[in-house]
Order: sequence, then C-alpha cells, then structure tokens
Amino acid sequence: MGCCYSSEDKPTEEEEEPLIQPNNIVSKSPNGTERNPPNVPTARTDEQALLTSILTKTAQNIIDVSAADQPMMEPHEYMDRARQYSTKLAVLGSSLPPKKALTLPSLTSQPHQVLSSDLVPYSDVQQRSSVLLTCNRTFQGKCTTSQMFIQKQ
Amino acid sequence: MTTAALTAGLERIPDQLGYLVISSEDGVLASAGELENDEHTAGVMMQMVRTASRFRLSGSPDVPFKRLSVILDDFVYTVTVSGHKVFVVKRQHNQQEPVNV
Repeated sequence: MGCCYSSEDKPTEEEEEPLIQPNNIVSKSPNGTERNPPNVPTARTDEQALLTSILTKTAQNIIDVSAADQPMMEPHEYMDRARQYSTKLAVLGSSLPPKKALTLPSLTSQPHQVLSSDLVPYSDVQQRSSVLLTCNRTFQGKCTTSQMFIQKQ
Repeated sequence: MTTAALTAGLERIPDQLGYLVISSEDGVLASAGELENDEHTAGVMMQMVRTASRFRLSGSPDVPFKRLSVILDDFVYTVTVSGHKVFVVKRQHNQQEPVNV
C-alpha cells in the first residue's frame, strides 16, 4: 500500500522501486526454478504470478475477430466481384446437362370444353367392375369402389 | 391467359363442385368451391396425371387421352392439361352407383 516517510529523508533506492514491475511475466531461470524479482515480497510475487498466468491462458484461448485484418471492399470492387461470380455461375450452369423436362404435354387446347363434356357412362363403369374384381383378388380385398378411367375422346 | 380467363369457363361447368388450376412450376394458380386451397388434392392429381401422361399406345408417340376421370361414389374428378397448366374439376356424380365389390 505504500509507506510513509518523511520528506526530509532521502528515499532509498529500495523505496523508489515500483511494487508492480512493468514486465510482470514471471521469468524462470534456465534450470526451471522460479526467480523472484529482487526485493518483492514472496506472497505478492506468487499472487502476481498466478494472476499473470491466468491472464496469459485467457488471452491464448480467446480469438479476437475484431482484431482480424478484414479487407474493406469498395462498392465498385464488390460489384465487379458479384459480376464475376454471376458469369462463372452462368458458364457452369450452361455446361451442366439440361434438366429433364418436367412439363406435362398439353392434352387439349379447349380445357373447358373437355372438362364440361359428359362424364363416363355408367355402362362403362359397370364394364370395368370386372377389372376391379381382379384387383380385389390380387390385393386381397383392399380395392375400393373408386375407379380411374382414361378417356380418349 | 389471365387467371380470370382460365377460371371463367370452369365455373360454368355443369354440376361442378369446385376446381383447381395448377402449374407444375408455380403450384396452385386458382381454386374454388370444395377444392379451394386444397393443395393436397392438387398434389395427388398432379401425380396421377403425370403418371397417366407416360402411357402410350403401341406405335404412337402421343399421349393417348384428353381427360382423366377419377370416379368416386358421389363425385368425379375430371382432369386435363392445357398450356402447361393442369385443370381439375370436381363434379357431382349423379349417375347410378357402381356395383360395390
């Protein structure tokens, strides 16, 4: 905490020495033993060393992304790069095999007329019930009375 | 063709209970009546008509039908394709009931 002394007394070299050293990383002697800075109490040195080691470990484990050197792009550079990427994509896209056509073939040019014409005659429905019977036998009675007809018309 | 032009004729179909106009790329373009917002039925009908469109009669490259009818007990779905759009109309089935098996 400091010490009291008379201004009349000339401060000794020891009293003038700061308590917290500027380079507070504990230095070790080549033989591995800790070397305390001269004239600092042992307890304080240990505490300082502990705090320093904690600080060092934390600093090593933290990744400071704000300090990363990120290149700032000018707007025109950004646009140029976007254009380059679009061009590359277009080239790659054209070199890929064409997607299989998923469009359905057009069946009629008069959809309203086709859809409004007479429904499947009941006689046709009856005629196809035998198909349903076969279906029932094959799938063990799991067919329903629903039937699908494809009309050529 | 505008959506209104597509649907105007469908509303005049006799005994119609509802309809769907479906695009293979954009999904349901229009719907009304009992099929309003019925995306499930739209999906099923699309699959059915895609499958049926693969049928070919021997020696012919064309699709051998103009209309697909799905006949249920009380109603019928009639489906056709025109201009890359699938039209589905649900119509009342007033005929005598088919034989139940």
